[in-house]
Amino acid sequence: MYEDLKKDIQGKFPAKFEVIRERRIKVSIDKNSVLPFLSYIKSKGFIHLISISCVDWIKENEFEIVYHLWSYTDEIHIMLKTRISRKKPIFETASEIYPVAQTFEREIHEMFGVDFKGNKRQIPFILEDWDDIPPMRKDFDPLKYAKSHFETEEYTEEVWTKVRKIQKFRGEE
Amino acid sequence: MTWAILMPFILMFAGLLYMGFARKIHARIQKRYGPPFYQNIYDVIKLFSKREAAFHGGMFHFGPVLSLTGIIMALMFLPVGGKPLFSFQGDLFVLLYLAVIAPWGMALGAGNAENPLASVGIARALTLMLGYEIPFFIGIIPIVVRTHTTQIVEIIQLQQINGWNVILFPISALASIIALHAMLGNKPFDQPIAPHEIASGPLVEYGGKYLGILQLYQAGAILLSTGIYVDLFFGGASNVWMFFLKTFLIYFVLLLIGEVLPRFRIGDALKFFWKWPLGIALLGLLVAVLGGVR
Amino acid sequence: MSGIGKTSRIKSLWVTYYVTGCGGIELLPVITSRFDAERFGIITSATPRQSDVLVVSGFLTTKTLRRIIRTYEQMPDPKYVVALGACTINGGIYWDSYSTADKLELYIPVDVYIAGCMPRPESIFMGFAHLMAMIKGDKADGWKRYHENYKWYKKNQDKALGNSKKWRVRDV
Repeated sequence: MYEDLKKDIQGKFPAKFEVIRERRIKVSIDKNSVLPFLSYIKSKGFIHLISISCVDWIKENEFEIVYHLWSYTDEIHIMLKTRISRKKPIFETASEIYPVAQTFEREIHEMFGVDFKGNKRQIPFILEDWDDIPPMRKDFDPLKYAKSHFETEEYTEEVWTKVRKIQKFRGEE
Repeated sequence: MTWAILMPFILMFAGLLYMGFARKIHARIQKRYGPPFYQNIYDVIKLFSKREAAFHGGMFHFGPVLSLTGIIMALMFLPVGGKPLFSFQGDLFVLLYLAVIAPWGMALGAGNAENPLASVGIARALTLMLGYEIPFFIGIIPIVVRTHTTQIVEIIQLQQINGWNVILFPISALASIIALHAMLGNKPFDQPIAPHEIASGPLVEYGGKYLGILQLYQAGAILLSTGIYVDLFFGGASNVWMFFLKTFLIYFVLLLIGEVLPRFRIGDALKFFWKWPLGIALLGLLVAVLGGVR
Repeated sequence: MSGIGKTSRIKSLWVTYYVTGCGGIELLPVITSRFDAERFGIITSATPRQSDVLVVSGFLTTKTLRRIIRTYEQMPDPKYVVALGACTINGGIYWDSYSTADKLELYIPVDVYIAGCMPRPESIFMGFAHLMAMIKGDKADGWKRYHENYKWYKKNQDKALGNSKKWRVRDV
């Protein structure tokens, strides 16, 4: 049955089709044919959009957006991958086809900075009063940010001698 | 005479012990040890030693004082194994009137707290009062009609002669005990002070000394409600210890009934009160009137 | 604070459990029938305005830290704070994250720390016993420290949590 699906998809769209193992399929497609592909695949029984995720390929200067789709009748999981440019990350929304995509795209907008045209609800979601670059990008340094905003106590040798003294007193060594 | 003056405060102290017993019984039913039975005394003393944190307006501070005054005034008319401080013809209705001042004071005070949960709690409390007051009053009327007196002390003395009113007017006693269950504020009728739904309703902004005053009011209200019921239906008491024993037995039975039931919705509770206890009370009134008014 | 007043503060502690993260899962056996905490007088209070103790268990994101500070300022004096778990002591396993604050004692005064990830119910009871001993010896004065050093606490809060007019209840 994977052969039938492969023939259907490759007949209509220029896609790369790969069967990873039983019930897992990876499809790579270019960014202009994502929305037609989604409406076509929804009519074939893949009615559940599980999630949308994003990967930051900083060396190739691209974002990769992955759509996870599931069909209850065939029990197949499709991972649909597209690449968009990293310098001006603009894409189209999938919420006309799957209404639940609005929330996933809101999160990707906040964490990666991708602008989904047509999504009316790209407002702050998890972070409050955020004033830096989107934190899931690979050029954001969380350790530097944490050290400059929050104070923490370093575990020096002095602290360790105190801990060993307490452990010896309690007989726990 | 001095005992009669001190009796309201002794009754409030005993009410705190009753609340402690209620927590102990509740814990033992759930297969765990509970707090000691004098735990509520520690609670009230601790609450009186805290400072207030919320300041909302004049009536917010005056409401608890009004409710404590109301309950002390009502407790001065209740006979506890002897004559109370004031006793005259018609004091049954005066007592029932004064018993409403206390929740009214709490409602006024909580209405001025700027919290929507308090308003929801007061609305539920007043709706519930609309439900249970009418069967309670109609259940009391047959006694007044048959015995031709409205003085509680005389009703008690007539019961020593004729037998307890719970045997003479069983249907009215049944209606009144269901209404009594709601007056005590136990499950399934504790909608006003529902800790998990509306964060204890009218008490939500009170902390510290005002909460201590409101706990004393609740303790006094337990004894007032069960005391009225014991005096009117169970023949009063010949001394203070029999009074405490009888009120504790009634409180214990109602507590056990409340253990197995969840909380009703306020609309369902109101419909229940206007169907069953009201019907039973009217039936009891009819039976008493037909049975002969001498 | 004389004898009966102090004894009643020890024997009836009303607690607000602020469960921010994973620490709350070990509190459930403590307050229900397995390890019964009500026999010591420790019950859950309905609102922060009625409680004495604030138990902070779990990691402190910036979003919840603003709400914790507002809750702490709503409680009436005298009040105590118990910090549960390793994330409130020095950051725990989330110490290098961009959204968690590390040390709780820079933002509100803490009286008792209970170490562990998560601490077992027996450790939580030992922590409460330690708090009761501190109240008896007049050492649990975190609320006084907050009033006296408010400027220092406000400086730390502003540095970590940003703009101060939006979420603060009072401005000293």
